Amino acid sequence: MSANLSVKNKRDILLVTLLFIILGGIFILFRLFAFQGEAAIANVYYGNSSEPIVSIDFVNYRVIKNYDQQVPSTYDQVYPIIDETARTITLLGDYELSGTRQIVVIQYHYGNKSVQIIQEQSPNKICSREGVSTGWPLICLPNRVRVEFETTAEDFTV
Amino acid sequence: MTLLANFLAIAIVLNIIESAIPIIPVPGAKLGFANIVTLIILYVYSFKDSVVITILRVLLVAILSGKLLGVTFYMSLSGAVFATLAMGFFKNLNYFGFIGVSTFGSIFHAIGQIVAGIFVIGSTAVVAYLPIMLFLSIPAGVLTGLIAQRFYTIWQTWHNEIS
Repeated sequence: MSANLSVKNKRDILLVTLLFIILGGIFILFRLFAFQGEAAIANVYYGNSSEPIVSIDFVNYRVIKNYDQQVPSTYDQVYPIIDETARTITLLGDYELSGTRQIVVIQYHYGNKSVQIIQEQSPNKICSREGVSTGWPLICLPNRVRVEFETTAEDFTV
Repeated sequence: MTLLANFLAIAIVLNIIESAIPIIPVPGAKLGFANIVTLIILYVYSFKDSVVITILRVLLVAILSGKLLGVTFYMSLSGAVFATLAMGFFKNLNYFGFIGVSTFGSIFHAIGQIVAGIFVIGSTAVVAYLPIMLFLSIPAGVLTGLIAQRFYTIWQTWHNEIS
């Protein structure tokens, strides 16, 4: 029994070492090389839609609202709210505090081609703690709001 | 039965403690320390029992935290089911010990959560978090495996003393 165990223990150690090297390598390569291109557009999505609700165009310095967010009539605002002076976009997230859905505030910066989530409510505040991003997707899962970057410019005027 | 119910209670507590510690930088994702109980039941009882206890645990935690059918519920469920199936498979394979089985469980827990995440937000952007989660799941799996192994050893000596 003990001999059998030790063979398995050796296999375990080998397995863990191999996995550590392989997954560690993937993780480091991913951090170094993924999402490194300069962003042309940042798309803001809500829910499981593949159509961006707001697009931030870093090339032509403008923010395009593609459609209004569908919110229950108990919320009197029309979302998303785009504030051109404060450079923020406000969406209504899915996370509820005492029955009320909470807002998610996204701030963008044309010069740095960056986006940051400056206000949101969720248990661990993960997406606002991610800080400023220039390519890495920002995902607020409890709010079902996400920001993804595109490196190639698309022509929105057509 | 009574013991299984006790295990279920321990699993629920572990699950709730774990969700209060934000170690992992992925929304709603967990390292899966409640897998300790799944693993122990897998060795002490059977695969069927561990599946039942795991699903009950996820359901009860969701009900207790009032997040049934929410985003994190689907991620927990998917992660837990993936992990249990993987651990059941690798335990049956009888090639690896506790730590190996538990590490596979932990890795599949991460994959399961990401798969659910893809469906929840309808985008593959969550895959960006997979490398960090997979990497973190190795120490989590090793720790889970060590604890389960220690428990199993004590459990066996205890049983031998009784009989």
